[in-house]
Amino acid sequence: MSAMNGFWTRSITCVVALSISNVASFPTAHAALISTAQVAQAGAIQDRVAINTVLTRPEIQAELIRRGVSMDEAHQRAAALTDEEARTLSQQLDSLPAGGVDVFGAVLIVFIVLLITDILGFTRIFSFTHPIK
Amino acid sequence: MRVCAFDARFPPLSGVFFVFALLASCTAPQTRALRSAAPPLLPSAVELDQSPFFPQEEFQCGPAALATTLNTAGIGATPEELARQVFLPARRGSLQLEMLAAARRHDAIAVMLPPRLDALLAEVANGIPVIVLQNLALDWVPMWHYAVVVGYDRADDEIILRSGRTKRQVMAMPAFERTWKRSRYWAMVTVPPGTIPATVAESDYVHAAVAFEKVASAAAARHAYFAATEKWPHNQLALLGLGNTAFSLQDWQAAETAFTKLVDMSSDPVPALNNLALTLDAQGRLAQAIEVARRAVSIGGPFAAQSRNTLATLVEKARDADNRNR
Repeated sequence: MSAMNGFWTRSITCVVALSISNVASFPTAHAALISTAQVAQAGAIQDRVAINTVLTRPEIQAELIRRGVSMDEAHQRAAALTDEEARTLSQQLDSLPAGGVDVFGAVLIVFIVLLITDILGFTRIFSFTHPIK
Repeated sequence: MRVCAFDARFPPLSGVFFVFALLASCTAPQTRALRSAAPPLLPSAVELDQSPFFPQEEFQCGPAALATTLNTAGIGATPEELARQVFLPARRGSLQLEMLAAARRHDAIAVMLPPRLDALLAEVANGIPVIVLQNLALDWVPMWHYAVVVGYDRADDEIILRSGRTKRQVMAMPAFERTWKRSRYWAMVTVPPGTIPATVAESDYVHAAVAFEKVASAAAARHAYFAATEKWPHNQLALLGLGNTAFSLQDWQAAETAFTKLVDMSSDPVPALNNLALTLDAQGRLAQAIEVARRAVSIGGPFAAQSRNTLATLVEKARDADNRNR
């Protein structure tokens, strides 16, 4: 299954990379402004990482698509990230906190947890529970 | 206090409960610190009644929270369009980095606050609602939730939030702090370019402006950089951004002023020299431009390749002009 996932990720990455390669910012052969973003990065980042950045954006786009974001929207979402943000996301897309709790659901689960801890005798919140002796 | 009832019945556990009780009282350190030494200028109670409320759809607390802060800043954005921009279906939620990125797409500067309760309250007191990430459950069964702090009452020790489907949720401050602490006190604001939140650190704001420049119009980004250089005149990155955005808008004079100032104060003036050369060339001062570009090339450094390109282009341009004149 993970081999399959890897295959699909690579395939989508390739397609996306090809489709956006015309907008990727490679060093140009003519005179150009040195951008604020380049200078902002220069302090902290080594050349090796800067090269990876070129690959990160299509990758993150593909990862977003795999997680249910539409192709078009994924492109714009990836484009709105700074290089540093894109790098962080591509490494931790599944481990970073995703704020999205349905508050009713949360209350329900907290209720159930407290109910169980009540019954086990670790808490005493509800008057109708009888702790296990 | 109910746990105390167990002490008599389960003597071996009483120590554990004592520790729990102690932890509970210690786990809201910032609330305690605020009680004992409040910043003198912080009003005792504030509520931003005008902050709109968007009741959350299933799992969509991120878009709802963003809609609240953006609309307070005068930016019309709906939770529906924001949901397309931040919600990650497979994770059933929204990631912090995408919350920041989505706000930028709506022409707002999105920036994190320092992880302090007094900073959070100070921004609210300044009329800026703050998005916070809370873990409503426990570290080992996290339930991440975005809400917007729109008020507080220090006398009653309360925080007022727009949260989920509740328009005005009042939370005891220590309880709020405990849920917020689990995200390492993560808080963000969205402000129009030109407004600098009082508690935001210099480098945080300027980096937020650089991220903003990437997606915003040059005029909006210039506004943000201008505000930054007004507040922090020695910030080199902000000055470079000011020059670059002026250049994009073909305001050569302003660009030249910014780059010249930056050349004088910068430890690595190559970007400023390179961009100044181009600005001079844009004004038809080619000979001067070449001189500046030469200086950039002679320094070298991480932008050497780009400055060599600039010099080569300018020299070639001068040669072409010479040939035509002959």
